[in-house]
Amino acid sequence: MSQPTLAHDTVRTPFLTKALPTAVILVGALYCLVPVAWVLVASTKSRSELFTTFTFAPGSGLVDNLHDLFAYGGGQYGTWALNSLLYAGVGAVLSVVVSAMAGYGLAKYQFRGRNLVFYSILAGVLIPGITLAIPQYLLMSKLGFAGSYASVLLPMIVSPFGIYLCRVFASAAVPVETIEAARLDGAGEARIFTNIGVPMMLPGMVTVFMLQFVGIWNNFLLPFIMLSDQSRYPITVGLYTLLSKGSGEPALYSVAIIGAAVSIIPLVALLLFLQRFWRLDLISGGLKG
Amino acid sequence: MTTTTTAPTTTSTGSIPTTRRSRRSPIAPYVFVAPAVVLFVAFLLVPMLYSVYLSFRGLRLMPGGAFGKREEVFIGFGNYVSALSDRDFLAGFGRLAIYGAIAVPLTLGLALLFALLLDLGATKAKRFSRTAIFIPYAVPGVVATLMWGFMYLPLTSPFSYITEQLGWGTIPFLENPEIFGSVANIAIWGGVGFNMIIIYTSLRGIPSELFDAARIDGANEWQIAWRIKVPLVTPALVLTGLFALIGTLQVYGEPTTLRPMTSAISQTWVPLMTIYRDAFVRDDLPRAAAGSVFLAVCTVALSVILLRLTQKRAFGES
Amino acid sequence: MRWRVMTAAGALVAVGALLVGCSGGDSSGSDDSTAGGPVTLDYWAWGTAQDPMVDAWNKAHPDIQVKHTDAGGGTDSSAKLLTATRAGNAPDVSVVEYQTLPAMIVGDVAADITDYVDDDLKSKFTDSTWGLTTFNDAIYGIPQDVGPMAFVYNQKRLDELGVPVPTTWAEFKTAAQAVHTADPSAYLATFNTSEFGFFAGMAQQAGAKWWSVDGDKWTVGIDDEASQQVADYWQDLIDNDLIKVEDLLTPQWNQEVNAGQVLSWPSALWAPGVIYGVAESMAGQWAMAPLPQWTPGDSKVAYQGGSAVVVTTSSKHPKEAAEFAAWINSTDEGAGIQLSTGQYPASTLGQTKAETSDPPLLMPQQTDFWKLASTIAGNTIPNISWGPNVNVAQSAFQDAMAKAVQDGTPLRDALTATQKVVVDDMKTTGFDVSE
Repeated sequence: MSQPTLAHDTVRTPFLTKALPTAVILVGALYCLVPVAWVLVASTKSRSELFTTFTFAPGSGLVDNLHDLFAYGGGQYGTWALNSLLYAGVGAVLSVVVSAMAGYGLAKYQFRGRNLVFYSILAGVLIPGITLAIPQYLLMSKLGFAGSYASVLLPMIVSPFGIYLCRVFASAAVPVETIEAARLDGAGEARIFTNIGVPMMLPGMVTVFMLQFVGIWNNFLLPFIMLSDQSRYPITVGLYTLLSKGSGEPALYSVAIIGAAVSIIPLVALLLFLQRFWRLDLISGGLKG
Repeated sequence: MTTTTTAPTTTSTGSIPTTRRSRRSPIAPYVFVAPAVVLFVAFLLVPMLYSVYLSFRGLRLMPGGAFGKREEVFIGFGNYVSALSDRDFLAGFGRLAIYGAIAVPLTLGLALLFALLLDLGATKAKRFSRTAIFIPYAVPGVVATLMWGFMYLPLTSPFSYITEQLGWGTIPFLENPEIFGSVANIAIWGGVGFNMIIIYTSLRGIPSELFDAARIDGANEWQIAWRIKVPLVTPALVLTGLFALIGTLQVYGEPTTLRPMTSAISQTWVPLMTIYRDAFVRDDLPRAAAGSVFLAVCTVALSVILLRLTQKRAFGES
Repeated sequence: MRWRVMTAAGALVAVGALLVGCSGGDSSGSDDSTAGGPVTLDYWAWGTAQDPMVDAWNKAHPDIQVKHTDAGGGTDSSAKLLTATRAGNAPDVSVVEYQTLPAMIVGDVAADITDYVDDDLKSKFTDSTWGLTTFNDAIYGIPQDVGPMAFVYNQKRLDELGVPVPTTWAEFKTAAQAVHTADPSAYLATFNTSEFGFFAGMAQQAGAKWWSVDGDKWTVGIDDEASQQVADYWQDLIDNDLIKVEDLLTPQWNQEVNAGQVLSWPSALWAPGVIYGVAESMAGQWAMAPLPQWTPGDSKVAYQGGSAVVVTTSSKHPKEAAEFAAWINSTDEGAGIQLSTGQYPASTLGQTKAETSDPPLLMPQQTDFWKLASTIAGNTIPNISWGPNVNVAQSAFQDAMAKAVQDGTPLRDALTATQKVVVDDMKTTGFDVSE
């Protein structure tokens, strides 16, 4: 069903009221961008410029830094980047599949244990990652998977917030009538889910994908604990090893900064790309229109 | 959104009791939720239960000379007693209160403000601002460490540079008590964008008929925002408030980031840092487990209280 | 029923993930080719010296191949070692800092390798160096690098200000005074509340014994007379604004070094490499001298930092692991790589070799650097002993010192607080500690 375009505009606002909102939001935008801008500027500084020049003055070492970055350890950064992509990409996709299935199931069916399942999974947000990290590691070790790609992927697939979002989307975006009609036509539940439910839940699924991708990409603690083979490290852990050498070894600041700058770029690009899918009708659960 | 219901026996949110379709697939819902449940049990429930189990044990020395070996034995509530009588651990909760009092209202307040501004017709540069404010969410903690070090340390901070030029001296970001604000700032910086998007999409879901009616009655934008929009996004506010509360109780990354740069932050500044120190630095996993259980219990209690207080507004559909 | 397809799909996803995991999992420390093929060892180590050393070994020993991973710096990798040992995932060989070694022994991580140390290997290190890895007459690791304490300073600037290089701590105070008076924006050095290793070294130089064991009984002396003397000394400097209290190696500290506002770093022989990493443009302006002494004419110093290579109790190939550890730490090739990356070798061979090497990049003008280093290394205090809970001491020390600085309370009291935490922790664990 179509929505009338939401017209939140008015035409008779005085100039100050017109300029003020823009000014305020631009200040907000600037506040958020300043540190990021610093990373980009700092990545252009050569090693000797990093601690000798003014914080926001651009430097001359960008090309050298890039070269050092990709040459470090014989190309480790490239490996880390691919690992991050693997964990975040595959992890987010799997997470979306699991969340969509669970959300759909919870929203569209009543069954014994439905509330128990839902609230238990939600309660999962209450437990901080640090508490779970070592037990997860010990569990993985018992199963023999510690240090493998799966040991980092599997724990990050179940996302309580993702399941909550999918449940809300499924409730709001997939009308019962359509499901009933499909059933009367003889379609099986699975078919209904894939052919009707999923397309309707798509904006929500994209949202969950994006949130999970960013969350997994930026996750540090789980891979740090699980992995002891540096060819499997994601970027977060790799950057950490560049910096945390203690006072006995020089910290590789320049390499770390350029590594950080380079790693932010794909994330931002992904966000920009996926932004257009954030339309209306998203998180409206609980709203009575 | 509202739908016209043709079948009076179903609601628009559409849950179908399986008994009416029992010949179809009574196990369909179970299949759908199975992967999530399996993963949840394996990676959340089991580790948590193991943590609880561990919290009742301890590592004690087995006899064997000056350099004997340590083994795990049952010690009952010893860890809990030790954790709860640890003044540093409890002081951490006090610091959480101060930190939360700054971080939570500011994060939500700014998120709401920006969301309302984005929803206003008069605002320009919406696309740019929305993206810019969301970008901090994408910055990982390791990078934040680098950035905020440069931003806060008096000698390298561009902000202090400006205030110095103006003759006001450097900004004491890293001293007591300003440190609370500095730590909170990192969290606010990182969290506003995400919360703003949640509130904003909630706003966009409000039908415009409501506003048109109000405008015809002569209300200006501020009144509309305050009287209509804000009440209608209360569920989103409660949700973000809940996340902010949980995030506050579990704050760990921000103070850890600043710790190498200032002596104002100890290794036990917030409870989760104490837990981390016990687990990784002191190699006392059982004590860390006890602390975690206690923290989790506090989190549950506070969340339940928050939800009870706002129950009617939050989950209207369930 | 299409839901069967769904179930199958869901199951496939899960199984697929597990299979990926299976093929990539490494659940044990070493990998054994059953047909008598090459043995693979897992080696955890940090620092730029490691990759070249491992490459050199692998080239020379096709039957024992070593796989190197950087598992984080000293504190991180030792924490991971403990957890990994419990889980059965520990590597075969790992670098462990000397101060953490007792905790590794108590945690059943480091294996007793006395049987693998023959007389030939023994002769390659001095007795006091072996003292760093020997406990209860058992050897638990092969020393890799040592950090005899030394004084690294901005020679150019001190000359400009006309301040002589201090040889005693009393002279250090005078020098600090002179520096700060001549240039109010500069300080001779900074005091860092997190530098547990440095403070311990100074205390040991003054005669303190932080942990000592007699039979089964431990004595903890973190707040003994000598240590308190050190605390009072620094207190005096701080109170008179002769020394700046600041954290080391932050962006601000680095900037101050570059700007000539921090003029020295009392630390150890590995310091030039670290300074060079953040102040490349100052090459030629810094120099190294022996650490100031408490008593004029004395020359003894302690160690700060440095690490050994241990064979883990989880290793399935301890003999090969010990062989590897011995090779990288005591052969000419290994020593050469250590020197080129800024490590000061623990082996006498390495230290002699050092004497003919180029001075560090930070001080190309100091051609007698390595000779001086040898002399310093020869004057280290024998038998420094660490205890089983150094990590606890370190974190308690850091917090107590930070608090003292924040509250303005005496550093002495911070030492007493640290002592209490350490003793209590040892008692709780079950050690026999004398009061």
